Amino acid sequence: MKMSWERFQIALFEKAPEAVLTHLLIVVITVALAILISVPLGVLLTRPRYRKFGVVALNILNILNAIPGMAVIALALPILGLGIKPAVVALLFQSLLPIVRNTIAGLLEVSADVKEAAAGMGMNQRQILLEVEMPLAMPIILSGIRTSTVYVVSVGTLAALIGAGGLGNMIIGGLALFMPEYLIVGAGLGAIMSIFFDRALSYLEYKITPPGVRAN
Amino acid sequence: MIELKNVTKQYPGQPHPAVDSLTLTVPEGEICVLVGPSGCGKSTTLRMINRMIEPSAGSITINGQSVMNNDPDHLRMGIGYVIQQIGLLPHRTIAENIAIVPRLYKWPKEKIVRRVDELLVMMGLDPEKTRSKYPSQLSGGQMQRVGVARAMAVDPPIMLMDEPFGAVDPIARTHLQDEFLRLQKEIRKTIVFVTHDINEAIKMGDKIAIFGEGKLVQFGTPEEVLTNPANEFVENFIGYDRIVKKLFLYQVQEAYRPAVCRLRPEEIGNALSKMLAEKAEVAFVLNEADKPCGYLTREELEQEETARDADGLQKLAARRSKAFVQTTTPLPDALSVMLEYDAEYVGVLKNGLLEGVMSFKDIRRHVYRREGE
Ligand SMILES: Nc1ncnc2c1ncn2[C@@H]1O[C@H](COP(=O)(O)OP(=O)(O)OP(=O)(O)O)[C@@H](O)[C@H]1O
Ligand SMILES: [Mg+2]
Repeated sequence: MKMSWERFQIALFEKAPEAVLTHLLIVVITVALAILISVPLGVLLTRPRYRKFGVVALNILNILNAIPGMAVIALALPILGLGIKPAVVALLFQSLLPIVRNTIAGLLEVSADVKEAAAGMGMNQRQILLEVEMPLAMPIILSGIRTSTVYVVSVGTLAALIGAGGLGNMIIGGLALFMPEYLIVGAGLGAIMSIFFDRALSYLEYKITPPGVRAN
Repeated sequence: MIELKNVTKQYPGQPHPAVDSLTLTVPEGEICVLVGPSGCGKSTTLRMINRMIEPSAGSITINGQSVMNNDPDHLRMGIGYVIQQIGLLPHRTIAENIAIVPRLYKWPKEKIVRRVDELLVMMGLDPEKTRSKYPSQLSGGQMQRVGVARAMAVDPPIMLMDEPFGAVDPIARTHLQDEFLRLQKEIRKTIVFVTHDINEAIKMGDKIAIFGEGKLVQFGTPEEVLTNPANEFVENFIGYDRIVKKLFLYQVQEAYRPAVCRLRPEEIGNALSKMLAEKAEVAFVLNEADKPCGYLTREELEQEETARDADGLQKLAARRSKAFVQTTTPLPDALSVMLEYDAEYVGVLKNGLLEGVMSFKDIRRHVYRREGE
């Protein structure tokens, strides 16, 4: 295959911007929905009344996660059709687990002494959750969100298979049409996006960790 | 006043109740210490009072009101609670930790700021240095002080304290105990205080409740408990040094004799005749300012009278220049002074002036008298 500088420029300056925006849109919508579902679910599964369902829920999510991303996308096609919406639903399934798991782990890690003291001073359950448990669990929850986000960025490239567009379009298109320039630009930008989200969320994790709790 | 009547707590799946049919009254303004070996139900009892745990049977009232009639969160806001593990919120500064209950009461900001500083000072912490630190930046003893300060934030009339001085070294603990007792003299709170250390119980308690396996084995003042242990369990729990422990309950002022022979500087030459006239065993040598600077015993004088001049006697007396105690000194400390300076007698001071004398015999006699009661 011979590379052409001209095609490379077209890929980068004409095709990529739209692909990046679509990809970002898929990632942001999926992760936002995942957070909105997973965090409350994780909270619920650590409340005394529902704790017994926690293990069951985690097992179900673990099974969902074991299905290859490709298979979920492929399954979404006959059921949900083409476009961004089915892609988001398919990606959503697998982005739930890390967040739910980390929300549960983070909340369970809050020391019983601290909760006992808070309750003993007369804080109600809501106040304990919002003012004590969540702030202390937040770094771990955020790390779950980071895992999910990086996952969605990479598996999101497969969404192009069901017509959602995004960076996957450039990769798949490049492969199908023997145009390595498209392939390189698509894959490269995907990698950069992954690294960007990973670093940005790591930084946020650090910033949000209460100074009294930060290691050293 | 806190009253527990036939309170029982049976944890599910446990063979025996953690607390078994407990009846106990804590009068207003007193410290009641719950003491006993690990696992005997002290914490469980404490936590039933503020409904952190619900009793399986029996009733608990505070000032005649059943705790069950009150909303648990509201009940707890009105009771100071120091937990065994301190439990400071690690993500909040010291000031924020202390401000938790005042904030629940929606106190205005300035009032909270003022109160936080006041409490830090009260607990012997420097507000400037401590206020904005995080719990992880404090020592164990400092954290415990903050835990106590936090429980006292809104000046609750009742405090529940679960081993509040458990996590510090013995010296810091003694210091915290002394400070707290001094404070309690002013604030007069009704306190239920848990410890597994009998010495701490004797020191802190107006009343001591000795627990064994969920049951109240003996209840009474420290003196009652130390004088008449209810059974072998209590005896063993107190230990072989029962009488020595009992000494801690008494101060010099209960045991000393006010009658004392005083020798002015010019009288030192005829010390023996003055002592014989006053039928005194011991005479204290005073300086020009009437301050005592040592003592001479009759025995010494009878042996040495011919051998020593006034100067020699002065020197002999001065060897006991440190054998003095205050009227408020606890008896064990007085005993320690006697042993340290190899002195049969100690001079008893009040406001720097000689008030009386106490011998080892006086201590023995006092303890013996208190045993007979
Ligand atoms: N939540 C619980 N569930 C079951 N058993 C419990 C529970 N909490 C305490 N127990 C049991 O009840 C008994 C009394 O416990 P408690 O914590 O009141 O003891 P304690 O006197 O405070 O001991 P320590 O001095 O070690 O703090 C123990 O045998 C303990 O194992
Ligand atoms: Mg305990």
